[in-house]
Amino acid sequence: MSSLTEFLGKVKSVRRLLTALMLAGAALLVGASPAQAHNVLTGSDPKDGATIAEAPDTITLEFDQTVRQGFSQVTVIGPGESRWEEGKPEVDGPKVTAKVRPLGPAGEYVVGYRVLSADGHPISGKITFKLSQDGPGARPEDAGQSAEPAATASAAAPASPAAPQGPDLSAQAAEAAQNGGAAMAVVWVAAALVLLGIGTIVALRRARPSGERPQEGVAG
Amino acid sequence: MTVTTDSAPDPAPAVEEGARGGAAVRRLMVFGLVSSTTAAVLVASAFTGEEAAPGIPMPGPLVAHGLPFVRAMIDLAAVAVVGLTVLPKLLGFGAPDRTEPVMRRARPLAVSLAWVWALCALVTIVFQTAELNPGQVPTIGMVIDYVSGVGAGQGLLFSAACALASAGIGLLALRFGESVPAEMRIVIALFGLLPIPVTGHAVDSVWHDPIMISMELHVLGAALWTGGLLATMLFVAWDRELLASTLPKFSKLASVCLVVVSVSGLVSGLSTMALTPGVELPGALVTTGYGWLLIAKVVFTAMLVPIAAHIRFRLLPKVERREGTAVATWAAAEIFIMGLAYGVAVALTRAPVG
Repeated sequence: MSSLTEFLGKVKSVRRLLTALMLAGAALLVGASPAQAHNVLTGSDPKDGATIAEAPDTITLEFDQTVRQGFSQVTVIGPGESRWEEGKPEVDGPKVTAKVRPLGPAGEYVVGYRVLSADGHPISGKITFKLSQDGPGARPEDAGQSAEPAATASAAAPASPAAPQGPDLSAQAAEAAQNGGAAMAVVWVAAALVLLGIGTIVALRRARPSGERPQEGVAG
Repeated sequence: MTVTTDSAPDPAPAVEEGARGGAAVRRLMVFGLVSSTTAAVLVASAFTGEEAAPGIPMPGPLVAHGLPFVRAMIDLAAVAVVGLTVLPKLLGFGAPDRTEPVMRRARPLAVSLAWVWALCALVTIVFQTAELNPGQVPTIGMVIDYVSGVGAGQGLLFSAACALASAGIGLLALRFGESVPAEMRIVIALFGLLPIPVTGHAVDSVWHDPIMISMELHVLGAALWTGGLLATMLFVAWDRELLASTLPKFSKLASVCLVVVSVSGLVSGLSTMALTPGVELPGALVTTGYGWLLIAKVVFTAMLVPIAAHIRFRLLPKVERREGTAVATWAAAEIFIMGLAYGVAVALTRAPVG
């Protein structure tokens, strides 16, 4: 008799283990989907280390993956710590474009960037290029002009851009769809609640015949 | 994180005597795990920190050091919870008069550590929001924006929810004992680990899903291995009779985990590097911080193998004969190295691949 209950208990615990494994498998599939890729800078215009004669009006950084809207920061620092970026950088798919004021004296320029990677990690870095001839902005007064943005640059809040650009609604909508956003969170929360609910019900049903061993308890 | 394991008096005098003798070694295990993880994550993060971009404000030292630390504490708390929920399966249900006193001490610890896990996950969300908004104290609105916009935030939130569910069902287990199915507790705790790889890297290719599954297996295997060893050693190592029936079961689990963790770790680490543009594989292992961290993890795993083999093949037969062994000391060394690997793992999830 006792060996029979033991056997039944074993069958039951194997069944429970299989259920647990199936749940874990389902969880694996749910958990596996939302991760996004980590971005890497793949190219830029001007190129890193390039020497150019003509001052560009925009700097483009290209990543291997879509960059997330918002959070992007680009700086352009010229000779003598002068600042040349203008307004907020624009994100278009994998490309981040920053407007620059007409560049100043010939010399080395450093472009610093910090963008939010598709996988949610901030990535930062820099590229450098050399301007071989003085640009249109290389006038004596630009010393005073460049000191002003440098002083306010520490504030992370963007200074009001000269030409306010309406947010790219279609890009934002596309990204929201890609993230799954709220819908995904709701699914997760619901899954957790269902699990907790099942656990509670099973626990209460099992607890009723007090003092019995779990293997010999009522059917779970 | 304070963990006291020697609070409740044991009913069996022999166990009590042994437990007193082992208190120092148990404290050493817990302290060793926490300190080795903390040291490894701080050193490795400093080594592979985000490159400073000229003219762009970077996160302050509190976020730069606090974020990896709290992120590592999520892992440790989760590992301990997984270990404590696996413990009843390792102990078996055949001799409740022996195992019940052990479980009576393990269950409340599982509940409090699940709370630690949930709180660390929530603090990590706040820190990651702060990381994206350097120089600002994150407001609730910013945190909500972060969670609704970034998958890593949702993953952490889900992990915190699972930790809370784990605490909830742990409370039920506290009240109703082992009639709350152990499998249910294990699955909920493991469920909470699944979103953790989502907070790390991924690659965009047809191999994305296989690599993610490999990462999931890595996380699950590592947690079962480390957590199982921790729980077995903290609660069973000084009861020879119980250890003789528990350690063989853990040993089987550990062998499987060792294989799963090594293979999945190599697969996901190397393929993530191979599929990242601009990363040339053999060379990048020694030229990038990511490669160095990967090598460090391989070295730690290689260090674990002889210790695990010693316990498995030399000490286990003696343990089964109820002879006294130095298994706890060896396990303490193993746990220490596992802590180092966990610390490096956290830095690895945050290090730039390229």
